[in-house]
Amino acid sequence: MRLQWRWAALKNGLLEDAAYRVEFIIGLLGSAAVPAAIQMVLWYALFHVGTGETPRTEIAGMTYSDLIAYTLVSTLFTQVRGGDHDFDLQEMIRSGSLSNYLLRPVGVVEFIYLRGIGGRLFTAGLCLVVGAIGMSLVGMDPTRLFGAMALAILGNILHYQVGAALATTAFVWEEAYSVLMVKNMLVQLLSGELIPLNLFPEKWAWVWKSTPFYLYVFGPTQYALGKWSHWDLLQALGTAGLWMLGAWLLIRVTWGLGIRNYSSLGQ
Amino acid sequence: MNPLRMLLEVLRVQFKNNWVREAVYRTNFLTAVGVDLIWIAIEFSLFGVIYANTPTLGGWTQDQVYFFLGVFFSSDALFTIFFQRNFWNFSDLVNRGDLDILLTKPVPPLFLILTRWINLTAFSNFVLGFGILLKYAGPAGFQGGWHWLSVGFWLLMGVLSAALIRFAFSIWIFWTERGFAFSRLYYQFFSFATKPDTLYPKWIRYLILSALPFAFIGSIPARALLEGLSLRESLMVAGVLVGFWIFNATLWRAGLKRYQSASS
Repeated sequence: MRLQWRWAALKNGLLEDAAYRVEFIIGLLGSAAVPAAIQMVLWYALFHVGTGETPRTEIAGMTYSDLIAYTLVSTLFTQVRGGDHDFDLQEMIRSGSLSNYLLRPVGVVEFIYLRGIGGRLFTAGLCLVVGAIGMSLVGMDPTRLFGAMALAILGNILHYQVGAALATTAFVWEEAYSVLMVKNMLVQLLSGELIPLNLFPEKWAWVWKSTPFYLYVFGPTQYALGKWSHWDLLQALGTAGLWMLGAWLLIRVTWGLGIRNYSSLGQ
Repeated sequence: MNPLRMLLEVLRVQFKNNWVREAVYRTNFLTAVGVDLIWIAIEFSLFGVIYANTPTLGGWTQDQVYFFLGVFFSSDALFTIFFQRNFWNFSDLVNRGDLDILLTKPVPPLFLILTRWINLTAFSNFVLGFGILLKYAGPAGFQGGWHWLSVGFWLLMGVLSAALIRFAFSIWIFWTERGFAFSRLYYQFFSFATKPDTLYPKWIRYLILSALPFAFIGSIPARALLEGLSLRESLMVAGVLVGFWIFNATLWRAGLKRYQSASS
């Protein structure tokens, strides 16, 4: 029974994504191609535009090829990172439709995640195949992708957990979606999705090191590219586990408090 | 009543209705300011990190890029005030059949669609953006004096461009079941607008100066204000905008012919 509803939620989510497959593919292509193109443009501008007679060869220890490789590989993990299911949670609280879910014998936070994760898992599989083919073609070790993808999937869960805890601000504040928007904007910068985090000057490095967001994209990319050792990956997986435990406790506390004060306006 | 006067009267009523609604949701104002402050901070941080590693980027100094960001944020805030919600609701109008009621009104339906929602709280974002523009105008090399008059013109050009492009992405709702993917695609391409166009390689530059003219939102206005545009570039801007206008008008007419009400 415990597994049954989880499997049903996952399957229904996948079926819904399959029903709107054209939208799914357009969304996937857009979210992969455009940010990657923007990043590559930045690297191009840094190394090739207006640099005069002596073009740059390195920035923060990274060559032009390093940066391009980072962008291409990080794009695989950026696709796994996201998911706006935390926005669904805050909308349910805000609109009162949470009441329907409270009557069911399932955990609402977990149910919403499982319902929405199907598409991401499919994307993760797709990225794994595309990445493995690409890396094999350029002579890189594709087996590292498996470890990196495992970290990226933990990152996806953690991302949702943080969002689910933040979504409880909707119990006390009408505009809780803005908290989630701010979180997403910070994640974009601090996960290594926009730029490699080693471009941060040393004095600012504590900013990204003190959040778990680097485990979403930067960590998996570093491991896949061979910049992190297996031991580094194990440490990152352990760190992700600890963050997840902390986030789980936070969810228990915030949802417990929120539901105690919840007065439904829904039907 | 004179048609122009009627449109202005409709606009006045829309303003009034939106003002009343926004006055009810006062916390929305603080939220909008907070979110945009973070967005601005992140864009500044991104360039801050890059400029920590290099003195110039694509020939632009840090102050010039911040001036560009000021122009871009101001222009985007104006778009948010006047158009953003209307475009978000556009797909619902078509899908749910709510467009029916607008088609029966004695005012051009497109005018009603594009002016129904006015996000007055985004005015604070405009103030923020314009503040940045003012702060970095001098250090970026903006000449000032009578050139300030052209700032308004170029900001309006940025808003007009954004509206035309957004419309071109939204109109496909007449042919698709859900408009969400196209809206998302618009916002993904919109990232091209957040960087000066001279940073891009040639083929992307052509793209964002022609078929997807996202550079018209902030980059071209910033460049026009800092160094002026050549005659060829000015003609190109005018030509592309007119082209988009015709393209959108054609699709709108075709979309209306295809439209089948879904309402009861």
